[in-house]
Amino acid sequence: MRKIAIVGSPNVGKSVMFNNLTGAYATVSNYPGTTVEVSRGKAKIGNEDFEIIDTPGMYSLLPISEEEKVSRDILLKEKPCAILHIVDAKNIERMLPLTLQLLEAGLPVILVLNIMDEAKRLGINIDVNSLEKELKISVVATVSTSGEGMDILRGKIEEHVRAFC
Amino acid sequence: MLERFAKKIGYDDPLEVYLSKLQALVYGDYPLSRRSIALLLLQEDKDVLDLIKDKEKERLDEILKIVGEAGAHYSHPLTYIIGQRRQEEANRICDAAISFKERQRVTLRERLSKVLMNPFTGGPILLFVLYYGLYKFVGTFGAGVLVDFMEDKVFGEYISPFMINLVKSTLPFKLLQDLLIGEYGIITLGVRYAMAIILPIVATFFFAFAVVEDTGYLPRLAMLIDQLFKKIGLSGRAVIPMVLGLGCDTMATMVTRTLPTKRERIIATLLLALAIPCSAQMGVILALLGDNPLGLVVWLGVIILVFLVVGFLAAKIMPGELPTFYMEIPPLRLPHLSNILRKTYSRLRWYFWEILPLFIFASVFIWLGQITGIFNVLVRILEHPVRWIGLPSEAGVAFLFGFFRRDYGAAGLYDLKKAGLLSGNQLVVASVTLTLFLPCIAQLLMNIKERGMRMGMVMSVFILWFSFTVGYLLNIILTLLNLQL
Amino acid sequence: MLSERAEEILEALWIQMEEQGKKQLDLGASRDEPAIDELSRLGFIRKDLDHIHLLEKGKAHASGCIRRHRLAERLLTDVFYVRKKIIDEVSCKFEHLLHKGLEDNVCTILGHPKVCPHGKPIPSGRCCTERKEKRSLKFVARLADLDVKDKGHIAYLQTKDRSQMQKLISIGAIPGVSIVLLQKFPSYVFQTGQSQFAIDKELASSIYVRLTK
Repeated sequence: MRKIAIVGSPNVGKSVMFNNLTGAYATVSNYPGTTVEVSRGKAKIGNEDFEIIDTPGMYSLLPISEEEKVSRDILLKEKPCAILHIVDAKNIERMLPLTLQLLEAGLPVILVLNIMDEAKRLGINIDVNSLEKELKISVVATVSTSGEGMDILRGKIEEHVRAFC
Repeated sequence: MLERFAKKIGYDDPLEVYLSKLQALVYGDYPLSRRSIALLLLQEDKDVLDLIKDKEKERLDEILKIVGEAGAHYSHPLTYIIGQRRQEEANRICDAAISFKERQRVTLRERLSKVLMNPFTGGPILLFVLYYGLYKFVGTFGAGVLVDFMEDKVFGEYISPFMINLVKSTLPFKLLQDLLIGEYGIITLGVRYAMAIILPIVATFFFAFAVVEDTGYLPRLAMLIDQLFKKIGLSGRAVIPMVLGLGCDTMATMVTRTLPTKRERIIATLLLALAIPCSAQMGVILALLGDNPLGLVVWLGVIILVFLVVGFLAAKIMPGELPTFYMEIPPLRLPHLSNILRKTYSRLRWYFWEILPLFIFASVFIWLGQITGIFNVLVRILEHPVRWIGLPSEAGVAFLFGFFRRDYGAAGLYDLKKAGLLSGNQLVVASVTLTLFLPCIAQLLMNIKERGMRMGMVMSVFILWFSFTVGYLLNIILTLLNLQL
Repeated sequence: MLSERAEEILEALWIQMEEQGKKQLDLGASRDEPAIDELSRLGFIRKDLDHIHLLEKGKAHASGCIRRHRLAERLLTDVFYVRKKIIDEVSCKFEHLLHKGLEDNVCTILGHPKVCPHGKPIPSGRCCTERKEKRSLKFVARLADLDVKDKGHIAYLQTKDRSQMQKLISIGAIPGVSIVLLQKFPSYVFQTGQSQFAIDKELASSIYVRLTK
């Protein structure tokens, strides 16, 4: 079964995304570092079954803590065919350096701008197309807690898999 | 595939030159692009260095030489130079893609956030949260109302009589009947304790904890308490496993993984095992001392004192990096009921499958021990330390249970109290000793799993000795001061 | 008043002895320079057959020169945005303008920096230990020394500890980023972009902020 890994800084909604995709349940809360163990689940996207891997939060490819190391090891050892980098849409500037590192590493990234509702409430307007053009990867805007954007994300994953795996 | 995806950020001149030299020297097959490997090498990543040592033996010296030269060329660590360049690139991309509308006024949630983070208002709010969340909801409602209902109604009137009749009519052997429905039987003791006493307490705690954590209160608490925690060798970050430990120490020990240094993880594990009572235990202790407010205060005072003193000494003794504190403060959010229920349920399920087998195992063990006489021998051995701390010998049984689960032991004391065998002082001393006493078997196993066999065992021996010593001293002090609690 | 050339020589001597650990110096090409005579006349150096020795009096004076030179570099980088390539040249001239008194004011404006833009230590002055801030003088300051609600951009990070540097970088505290101090007790809370972070005093002392009013 092909694998899809979910990565990103702490507290950006990785676990909710995992729950949405798999229908399983990984503990979610409002503080950084809830996920200390890797959760795995199955998801059907398009006509294919994937193994989804939820990882502890990481700030950069250069790990500081044990959990960050766990996350990096997944990227290195499990060779997922897609990596969903979840970022907080309110704080793209701060989180984009990790996207850039993943791209530098040559990993197959899809960028997911999550928590779009809070970003909109703060008056932040994000041009998804411009980001796609700059980064040359798929970019999707979502609100994982309400499920908004999940269908588009599934579609982008399908496209990505068809093109690259 | 790797090289195809690799998007190239250009770095400043000398760095870029070193990078391309390194890229040309790493031939091996890596899970990351060569450029990324070169960048990580320049930032002195240990794992990547090990990889290189393995895969580029012939060129190792040359590679290390270049890394050294590059480092020497810059007065700042290369992480800093590289990080700065990546941020520049990120800013450039964002400037093109993001626009801001006028920032609106300060919102209510920001104001509330400030109040929570102000030490003068935050302290009282913490007490408020502890009083209503822990004492009222978990203690009075969970450990009181719900436990009474489960024990007296559900088990006392329905399940126990039904099971006793069922077993008596289907199993003719006395010995097997004892295993299931005897004084320490699987159903009458194991399942009853698990379902009627522990379950309601833990469920209410996990519910309250879920509400607190989903609002984003915990990082704010961490920020308030950091300076105090530094004194005991931890950082504010450790507040999360500590508060979770008030629910289940075993689960909290697993969460110590989020602490950044080994030193912090060891100190946190020790304090969790020693001085943080889990919710089940606390529930029973509240039930024991609930009608004795002064006793409760003494118990709380001793436990807090032990927590601070042991933490302080551990921090003095333990070598290693001093903790630094950094933590993101997420916005306050209104928790979703569905998420809270799901989370409570999933934690409860984890907890239940962790403990139910242990309860059944305990019943079986005690049953076996009674048949073979080992149980009596162990109780008699334990009667000595129990007498040293001024308790009646009958309490030895409760302490033996304590080996299996601390709360199980506390529940044993509860039975003794009901039978009127313990005075106020004895109750307090017993509660303190049992709170500090060896962690339950599940936590002992988790300690060994997370901290290693040696460290796990050393901690257990220390805790065993320490809990009785504190009990002994407390008993003497209470006697000397002629206090009757 | 020392000539510029003599000061330069004195600085070079100090760097070689204090930072590169040499005991004495070959006289070499500078043997016949008038500046050397000037220095030995003042009792700053002693000259024997082939070597120069830096004397205590000279050391004290040299450390002051170095301090002014490196403060000048900081000032030009952090405040005047002078390009890195010409920094050295400009600071050589600039340092001579910063004579005593003025030098401590510049140090205060810059938040008592500990290293120059090249990462070399700046000898500390009286103002660094006294720390009686005149608020109006703050231009660059450590986050730990800011007042609540002070705003600015991160100018640079300064910590000896690599892992602390890495922590700061990973939470996005990187030069150029805008920053507001929200709270300083019991922990430091700052906002960058839309995120808030709490850090301890140690980390807050590693972030130097260029203030904006």
